[in-house]
Amino acid sequence: MTTLAPAAAPARFWRDAPAFAGLALFVALTALPLVVALPLDPRAFGGEAIWLKPLKFHAALVIYLATLALYARFMPAAAREGREWRRFTWIVCAAVVAELLWIDGAAALGVASHFNTVGLWKAVYPVMGVLAITLTAASLWMGLVIRRNGALDPALRLSLVLGLVLTFVLTVIAAMTMAQHPGHYIGTPVTGARLPVMGWSREVGDMRVAHFLATHALHALPPVGWLMRGRASGRLVVGLAAVAYTALVAATYVQALAGDPLI
Amino acid sequence: MTPDSLFQLSGPLAMLGWLALLAAPLAPRLAQVVAAQVVPLVLAVAYAALILMHWAGAEGGFGSLSDVASLFANPWLLLAGWLHYLAFDLFVGAWEVRTARAEGIPHWQVVPCLALTFLFGPAGFFVFSALRLSAARTKG
Repeated sequence: MTTLAPAAAPARFWRDAPAFAGLALFVALTALPLVVALPLDPRAFGGEAIWLKPLKFHAALVIYLATLALYARFMPAAAREGREWRRFTWIVCAAVVAELLWIDGAAALGVASHFNTVGLWKAVYPVMGVLAITLTAASLWMGLVIRRNGALDPALRLSLVLGLVLTFVLTVIAAMTMAQHPGHYIGTPVTGARLPVMGWSREVGDMRVAHFLATHALHALPPVGWLMRGRASGRLVVGLAAVAYTALVAATYVQALAGDPLI
Repeated sequence: MTPDSLFQLSGPLAMLGWLALLAAPLAPRLAQVVAAQVVPLVLAVAYAALILMHWAGAEGGFGSLSDVASLFANPWLLLAGWLHYLAFDLFVGAWEVRTARAEGIPHWQVVPCLALTFLFGPAGFFVFSALRLSAARTKG
């Protein structure tokens, strides 16, 4: 397989998209004070410890940035080193930092970040939506660029393209639907029963389920392509996996809209 | 001289050092002389004088949090404590600028760390250290 040897070089993680890799480490390190504050800060927000949501965002963005830094090796070298891409990565990094400042700052002040309906925070909320779309667009851009990499195994390439593009398309649909509602719940929780770790409601619809699965398309599909590389049926299997995954996201989306919990 | 009037003087003095650091790319060596030496040393001399004058008669100490609180109930020692912050925060800010320059970290990335060090000393030091570590990984 043509691309396996360079793809396996771990040092490339830091070199192929240095802004993403460096920011991933930075976002991870700056989560440390939040980890300390989590058990010490007595304040709660929405029935949860106030630092839980910021920590989830730090974790999610570390995973997202690290994944993009990892996948950058599958871009054609010319595109990866091109001016446009470099410039775009800095815009994405700025959006990530702004998003985290907003979420960490809101938690420090004890106010809502998303779904805020008061004053300046309300005014800033739509701007944050634009930033969120900007940072998610990094996966779209990378997916479209990888599509042009003829040196890559076809099944692996298709799985990367579909995973990255679906992450953008499905996440934007789920997140924008969520933003049209007063909160991520569809319905009003009574007991506050939630799934452990993820915190999704067990009583009412929770749009975060579809958002979560949508955003992880870029993790779900490429392993399929990796396993199917070099096989004649590879592209077909990857395509079917993409359809199945999209159906799964759609099912959780419809389920939440209907006001039903995941389980 | 009252503690309040000295406090009023100390703010602009420290600010001079911070402004020098913000403008450091224009005159790196001058910025270091101002922010790592002149201003912190003036603050250090004032601090030392305050301690010499007021430490002996003060209540409290470093043994417990309430000891520290009663120490700082004395406005002269409270002022000394404030000068301690100003001097050392600025010194750390100058070190951040110097270190970033030596390690090829762009100044615009250091500016937010400076703002944080200015406002919340150790938090700025922490964020700068995170930045430095992240930058070093991507350069290897």
